Amino acid sequence: MALPNVMQTGRSGMVAAKAQMATTSHNISNANTEGFSRQRVEQRADNAIPHGGKNMIGQGVGLARTDRLNDQYIEKQIRNASRDLSHLEEKDLALKQTEDIFNEMGGEGLNRLVSKFFNEFRKLANEPDNEAVRQSVRESTLAMANDFKRLHSSIEDVRNHLDHRIEGFASEANSIAVQVKDLNLKIKVQELSGGQANDLRDQRDTMMKKLSTYFDVSTHTDKDGGINVDIKGVGPLISGPNAEKIIVDRTPADGEGKPENSFSLRSTGNASNDITHALKGGKIGALLEVRDQTLSSVLDRLDEMASTITNSVNSIHREGITRYGTKGVDFFKTLEVKDRASQYMALSDGVANDANMIAAGAVANASGDNRIAVAISQLQNMRVMDNGNTTIDAFYNGLVADVGVVAGRTRNSLVQQKDITMQLDKMREQISGVSIDEETANLLQFQRAFDASAKVISVADQCLQTVLDLRR
Amino acid sequence: MRVSDNTNFGLVRETINRTKGRMEKLQTQSATLKKVNTPSDDPVGSSKILEIRTDKVNNEQFLMNSKLAEAQLNNSESALSELGDIVIRAKEIAIQQASGASANDDTRLAVAEEITQMYQSAIGTANRRIGDRYVFGGFKTDQPPVTVDGKYVGDDGQMMVEVGRDVFIAMNIPGHEVFNTNPGVEDRPADMGSSPELQMRAGTRTPASYSATGQPGKEAGKAGPQAENVNVFEELQNLRIGLLTSDTETIRNTLDRFDQIHSRINSMRAKIGSRINGLQTMSQSLERQNITNAQLGSHLEDADMAQVVSDLAKEETVFRSALQSSGKLLQPTLMEFLK
Repeated sequence: MALPNVMQTGRSGMVAAKAQMATTSHNISNANTEGFSRQRVEQRADNAIPHGGKNMIGQGVGLARTDRLNDQYIEKQIRNASRDLSHLEEKDLALKQTEDIFNEMGGEGLNRLVSKFFNEFRKLANEPDNEAVRQSVRESTLAMANDFKRLHSSIEDVRNHLDHRIEGFASEANSIAVQVKDLNLKIKVQELSGGQANDLRDQRDTMMKKLSTYFDVSTHTDKDGGINVDIKGVGPLISGPNAEKIIVDRTPADGEGKPENSFSLRSTGNASNDITHALKGGKIGALLEVRDQTLSSVLDRLDEMASTITNSVNSIHREGITRYGTKGVDFFKTLEVKDRASQYMALSDGVANDANMIAAGAVANASGDNRIAVAISQLQNMRVMDNGNTTIDAFYNGLVADVGVVAGRTRNSLVQQKDITMQLDKMREQISGVSIDEETANLLQFQRAFDASAKVISVADQCLQTVLDLRR
Repeated sequence: MRVSDNTNFGLVRETINRTKGRMEKLQTQSATLKKVNTPSDDPVGSSKILEIRTDKVNNEQFLMNSKLAEAQLNNSESALSELGDIVIRAKEIAIQQASGASANDDTRLAVAEEITQMYQSAIGTANRRIGDRYVFGGFKTDQPPVTVDGKYVGDDGQMMVEVGRDVFIAMNIPGHEVFNTNPGVEDRPADMGSSPELQMRAGTRTPASYSATGQPGKEAGKAGPQAENVNVFEELQNLRIGLLTSDTETIRNTLDRFDQIHSRINSMRAKIGSRINGLQTMSQSLERQNITNAQLGSHLEDADMAQVVSDLAKEETVFRSALQSSGKLLQPTLMEFLK
């Protein structure tokens, strides 16, 4: 055992301690980096060499590799949890917007206006010979029709807003897919030399976590460590060197037809043209759900309500006699189709121009005849909706309650999902998170090791000096 | 267990957010005094709240309808009572003038003039108006229902008003039912058919199939027993002619008929009275229902202020202690002890 060897051993200790201190400082400086996993230098004792027969004397320390402390299983769970969390958060937001449109709890809303509409007909029944009451029947009808319009256009506004968000999310997802693809390549190149691309892997995990917040994906790792991503139900998003794209097709709304016609999603990774209904989960899935289920159903039901009121009031009103003694006309403008009835609901031209065209009675020359007014006001209590199962009031109240149920359920799930995500984050932090206190302690530990190794060299140097001095 | 700094800070953030979220909700409740501020706060309850509100608005209308109907019925009743007085007075005159003992041609001639006056005021009473509306004209409320020669030109329309959900009461008495003792026999005025709301309640029609021109009931009226009809205006005329011509036979004949008319008028007054009773009962029950609804609505919708305020105070304490413990948790690091 030569003294220079001892120096060498000391040097290896210093190198190792320096590497550890560098890694520790890397950890500390990344304490707040999203998705960072703390790293640790794996070191091992260098092979001992035989010395003077049987004695094996160690050669110091060698650096094996730098590991990141990370559990892929938890990462995957976090990915799923954050997908569900983003899904619920996005849904909650969209439903809150929808719910706000039905400002019924404040007291002013369609519910009240519909009651007012029917009550105006009750007033007309009290005074069928009065023109002023007819004016106020007309005003209350306008107020009701306007509120139908307001609801309709507010819901369309929400839907447009959601469309814009979906478009934004799709392009974000596209750019993340490209980044993951690039990271795949970089990791492969870096790891060809045998090292561990820890930080790149952390980055890729973070990107994957982000990517899975947009929709449901499945992943598998290929033999080179690259991650391939499939969008569930659609097809590949990232495979090897290729990243597919999600394309949003928006044709300007033509004022007619269903929203699906003016908005659709395509993927370059899927032969079929329209993947709008194939995307599930995540933010995009949430927005599509709200848009195509909640909003569409709300609009349909509003349309049904508007068209039922229009048609049933018309069919009674036509049988009546105007204040001029002529045959009754339509009260509302006739609607050809149920579609968009809530938007097009309006007074007929006759009634809009002249309140005396409103019919209260069924026979001519009988100004006290109030039977038509009574019959119309009775529609409020009749089961005219839902194939004769529900009254107009109950139908609308059910609609409001349904929106509330969906929003309430989402909010509850959101709270639960937050807890789950927090729990998982805690577990991940437990493994991968940086504790400054711990790193500080480590730093001191490595500093001591460094000091001691330096001391070894100094001692070896002194020894060597002593040996050299022997000759004098 | 390892506790990273992120866990610490995350915990602090989460605690503060949650407490603040709960405080915000309580603050909304205390600002609006309502615990249901959006449908999702209580979907089933909110649907019920809307139902109650509709009931409330409708009940107010029903109460208003009741008041109007009551006013018109009261007016009709006082008109009928006046008409009844006229009939009694006419009968008294007829009794006096029917016998030769207390009357002669001269007295008859003298009271004939009084009967003419009574005839005029009977027509006037029959054409009683409230505002612009003739109350005894059936649906024909815009013209006098009885002409100067005592002919009824109204119809038999019954103006139904809704005084409670699906409860209808006619607020008028068509004149021909009052002026005739047996209106089915005389040539009836235009038949208005049974009112649409009655058909509707019977479930025999949907609005789409509604027809206002159907005239059920006419056949039934004709098929009834053929009793003699007496008309109040005709009878007054008969009495006047009897007096003018000093025809004691004719005068005597009117006696029984005036009785019939008087009992007819009385039965109509009783009918009106029972309608008014019905209205009052209905109004009372609506008012009771309003109170019950208000209680239920308040229970569903209104925040319990004592609860909200005490919860708010509690949350504030929680919030303060969270902040305090956070301060303690985040302050020290190992660094500070290594100097």
